[in-house]
Amino acid sequence: MVSKASDSGTKPRKLNGEQSNEGVGNLVSKINLLRKQIQAERNSSVKEKFEKNGKKVEDHVCQLLSEASKNDGFSNILLSRIENPLGKFSAYVQGSGDKDGIYGHELSSLVGTKLPYTEKLPPYTTWIFLDRNQRMAEDQSVVGRRRIYYDQHGSEALICSDSEEDMTEPEDEKHDFSEAEDRILWMAFEEYGSSEDVQNIVSQFVGGTKLEIQERYKFLKENYEKKQNKNLKNSGDVGTDKGIYLDKTLSAALDSFDNLFCRRCLLFDCRLHGCSQSLIIPGEKQPYSLEHEEDGKPCGDQCYLKLSKFNTIKASLECSDIDDSNGVKRETLREKEESMGSSSAAELVIADHSTGIAQVHEQAIPSSSKGVDEDPQCHTSVIGLCTEITRKCKDIEKEITPPQDPKLISDDFAGSPVKKQKILLSPHPDVSSKLEFYPVIVDAAKESTFSDSGKLGFSGSPSSDKTEDLIINEEEDVVVIPASVQTSNNTGEQGTMRDEGNVVAEAHKEKQKSNEIAGERMVPICEWKPIEKELYTKGVEIFGKNSCLIARNMLSGLKTCMEVSSYMHDVGPSISNRSGAAPSSCLEDNGNGDMDHATEEMPTKTRLLRRRGRTRKLKYSWKSAGHPSIWKRIADGKNRSCKQFTPCGCQFMCGKQCTCLRNGTCCEKYCGCSKSCKNRFRGCHCAKSQCRSRQCPCFAAGRECDPDVCRNCWVSCGDGSLGEPPRRGEGQCGNMRLLLRQQQRILLAKSDVAGWGAFLKNPVNRNDYLGEYTGELISHREADKRGKIYDRANSSFLFDLNDQFLVQYVLDAFRKGDKLKFANHSSNPNCYAKVMLVAGDHRVGIFAKEHIEASEELFYDYRYGPDQAPAWARRPESSKRDDLLVSQGRAKKHQ
Amino acid sequence: MAKTALGCEPVVGSLSSSKKREYRVTNRLQEGKRPLYAVVFNFIDSRYFNVFATVGGNRVTVYQCLEGGVIAVLQSYIDEDKEESFYTVSWACNIDRTPFVVAGGINGIIRIIDAGNEKIHRSFVGHGDSINEIRTQPLKPSLIVSASKDESVRLWNVHTGICILIFAGAGGHRNEVLSVDFHPSDMYRIASCGMDNTVKIWSMKEFWTYVEKSFTWTDLPSKFPTKYVQFPVFIAPVHSNYVDCNRWLGDFVLSKSVDNEIVLWEPKMKEQSPGEGSVDILQKYPVPECDIWFIKFSCDFHYHSIAIGNREGKIFVWELQSSPPVLIAKLSHSQSKSPIRQTAMSFDGSTILSCCEDGTIWRWDVIAASPS
Repeated sequence: MVSKASDSGTKPRKLNGEQSNEGVGNLVSKINLLRKQIQAERNSSVKEKFEKNGKKVEDHVCQLLSEASKNDGFSNILLSRIENPLGKFSAYVQGSGDKDGIYGHELSSLVGTKLPYTEKLPPYTTWIFLDRNQRMAEDQSVVGRRRIYYDQHGSEALICSDSEEDMTEPEDEKHDFSEAEDRILWMAFEEYGSSEDVQNIVSQFVGGTKLEIQERYKFLKENYEKKQNKNLKNSGDVGTDKGIYLDKTLSAALDSFDNLFCRRCLLFDCRLHGCSQSLIIPGEKQPYSLEHEEDGKPCGDQCYLKLSKFNTIKASLECSDIDDSNGVKRETLREKEESMGSSSAAELVIADHSTGIAQVHEQAIPSSSKGVDEDPQCHTSVIGLCTEITRKCKDIEKEITPPQDPKLISDDFAGSPVKKQKILLSPHPDVSSKLEFYPVIVDAAKESTFSDSGKLGFSGSPSSDKTEDLIINEEEDVVVIPASVQTSNNTGEQGTMRDEGNVVAEAHKEKQKSNEIAGERMVPICEWKPIEKELYTKGVEIFGKNSCLIARNMLSGLKTCMEVSSYMHDVGPSISNRSGAAPSSCLEDNGNGDMDHATEEMPTKTRLLRRRGRTRKLKYSWKSAGHPSIWKRIADGKNRSCKQFTPCGCQFMCGKQCTCLRNGTCCEKYCGCSKSCKNRFRGCHCAKSQCRSRQCPCFAAGRECDPDVCRNCWVSCGDGSLGEPPRRGEGQCGNMRLLLRQQQRILLAKSDVAGWGAFLKNPVNRNDYLGEYTGELISHREADKRGKIYDRANSSFLFDLNDQFLVQYVLDAFRKGDKLKFANHSSNPNCYAKVMLVAGDHRVGIFAKEHIEASEELFYDYRYGPDQAPAWARRPESSKRDDLLVSQGRAKKHQ
Repeated sequence: MAKTALGCEPVVGSLSSSKKREYRVTNRLQEGKRPLYAVVFNFIDSRYFNVFATVGGNRVTVYQCLEGGVIAVLQSYIDEDKEESFYTVSWACNIDRTPFVVAGGINGIIRIIDAGNEKIHRSFVGHGDSINEIRTQPLKPSLIVSASKDESVRLWNVHTGICILIFAGAGGHRNEVLSVDFHPSDMYRIASCGMDNTVKIWSMKEFWTYVEKSFTWTDLPSKFPTKYVQFPVFIAPVHSNYVDCNRWLGDFVLSKSVDNEIVLWEPKMKEQSPGEGSVDILQKYPVPECDIWFIKFSCDFHYHSIAIGNREGKIFVWELQSSPPVLIAKLSHSQSKSPIRQTAMSFDGSTILSCCEDGTIWRWDVIAASPS
């Protein structure tokens, strides 16, 4: 009954002409048959797996046995006990007495060896040390998850969240089709068509909605057809994987940076602010100070300044050489030469390509070589090379056939699967009209040797493009110390040649695009890749029109200063200074404003533990009246609302739309708005007070000073050996202790009161900063849920961080935190906790309330509300955990 | 638990006994009134293959199974702390192969008892709460791993007294860990399971240098740079309730929850993305009336058969490696009514011991094996 291949049994029937509308009567039986077959296959596959695994087990066992037999003859007490046991209990003798009655041997009187008393540790849950707060990872949420707990005394309690809050499995769970289900589905539809009845039956057997089944069938069909096609053609389209980012646009290349780099903490994969933060582009930028850069010295051998001195000679040479080229072109050439003196001979050639290929490069090469170097030896070598080039070019020329109909070519490639790549590659505005000639050149390129192949795709005309590349290379040969990557291309010409085939092929496909842009002004900046252009634009934004700096900082290894300079000249007016990003980002930010706020609550994802696709929904609406569970509060007493800050993306001035304004927070240095924004916190100007009293506006506002914002608060780096910043105030600011982590050494030990306690290593004075209470940042809703669990265990490490009535945070130090989480509660404490706003983040600092001696235990007031404090917390000497619990009888599930 | 898709169904064993073997009660001991939670044969030293240890209350006892149903008491140890209630026991040995009995329980202290000298060797203090299971690495029997209520699994070296690794943290268990087991051949690998309903597979490959270092450590054990392993390589959502026992079977995993069955499944890991993967549930071994937690199963040395007790004092013996699974025998006795917390199968499976909630140890011996 079991046939080998599932489909083989069903196929012939179809060929016999049995049609789909033949009735679905036997479909059910057929599906059943197929199911049985699948079942049998599954069973045999399990069996097979077992056999395989069984062999492994056998090997393991052999190994273990040999390991176990490796015993030397050392005698020990256990061996001697085997000879002389403490006691022997004979077997129950069958058939004696009543049938099932067994008299047991009582052992309770046995005297044993004593195991000396060892003091046990106060209970704790294994926790991870955190030196800074972390936002809860999504998979750590307990909301909507079934939790089962047992109570301490025997019987099992099943607490899966409260009944009203009980969640249900999501109804719209997507059906995942297994391989076997696919087979049934496929068989049914292939043989019986896709009528309603068939769908119903299939849905019965396979599960999933009709729609899903239909979709699945479509999907399978597509796959099937693809496979068929593949079998027919079997044409392997080789994906051209060009390394790193050179093929991408700047934004694509920067994607991971933008997504993973936290601009507030200046590190990757920030666990506090999460990845995919909305990008805030500051409205005002500090101009780059050019003072020390503008010294008029060339930045290197490829500097545009070096070139300028040759200009006069060059220009004259070119004037005479390119006599027969058309007048207009020449004029533009001259303009270039005169303005920056940077345009290379290569570009001249491109500009002139229309006048006749061979002729132009014959003229252009000598001119450039003369211009660059007058050393006779070099000169001759250059000329030698040039002749070779001309020969090659002639070869190419021979192969060039009259241009084909561009339409036709583009049609050829319309269906090519490499479309995407093409779009990425194509530098749209700059593709010149001449790209139509490419099909010819492809062949030529394969045979001839040329360097820096990447450029091909964007170059103007086939022949001139090549000469241009070569000329650039020659130039570099002549110049003694080549400064850029291109040199390596030169030396390894043979190697680069290989890539070239690919690249040209890509470029080849580009002609389709070029058709559309045909007729546009021909710009001789062909060899610039999109990413280079974008980097250049950024460079202009940062450095202004300083080709030296741009080449060095933005395009190092990609473009020389000269090239940058010429590019700058050519595109100059089209890219306005610093205009590129600002307006668009402004729009974007405004649009995103609301969303940012909404997603603020979204926890970050851990990379490793992504939950499987299912998202659970909660049926109930969450209602919370205050804190049902034991949460620590700030000892401040005052009801100052601390609201979570999220930088706004406003440009220049914050209006009513500003998210900060609407949230009721100040704008911070991370906001997009300008420094003069009215909503900004302006820091302090304290001169001598060290910002330790309420006279300091920062201190009064519950903020730490920020050297970026406050006028006189400064930070010195290291031990001062590197030099200190200009002193702006009297002493060092005393209100940056969390920021600078100027904390005391905290010790963890058994508390004098109960459980664990935190102790101080060195004596401190009143108001000294002891350390930070770190933990997981969780939402109030999450905290509510966790609180219930913690209350059950009578242990809570929750700490209210900011305002509860908005979407704000609670710190949970249960599984992640630092030693200060073990500081106990006291109504007469020696410490106090204070929430400080440090660089836009709320952090809990623990401060000394009085002078504390070394190795004293730390206590602070948890500020339980009268209704929140659990019974034990009201006792005079209370602890926050369950250490005082009388007995912890083993909880087990009984009958 | 999600409905298993068509074509991926497990092969479920039939409960009709094949009577391949027959067992009969040959002895019964009453150790006291306190429940016995663990019984285990010594499989790491061939000299002691018939020696077993039990724990219950504050007592650890070492016995020997002799011919004809006779049981000899060899050693007995009593913790001076009457509050101690041992939950688990395992055999280990020093590098000079001195036999150790390792026990742990409610106090969270791991007791390393030197059975070769009848004295305490070391006590490991460190776990924040009770210890639910201790297992020994069979290839390096001075390495033990412990599962605790403090949500961590810890790797220790009994020879030097070092806590080498702590398996807990960002990807760790989110409730008590109830069971843990070493992979039989892959020394880097362990599997743990617990009250968060998951089975997690961990790899200590990247931390192996610390394991090696632990053998040569001469400084104070507390100064050893204990490392956290925060992320498991695999998390298996096989069960939907407490998972109280798991064991490796080759590269497969046997695990049980409170659903009246033992499940055998294959972890299919994705090498590139640790933590992700799928589970292929291959077989199920039904065990009626086994719906309370802290009931552990055991296998014979060769992994031919598996024995588990239930809430009503019955024992089910399954042929482990046949497909579909065959029920070798169902053991019951009119006086055995108390829940069986753990069973122990002897080296060749001919003797089965069970320890019960009521403090009794039962010995069952094979009386007739069918020719096959």
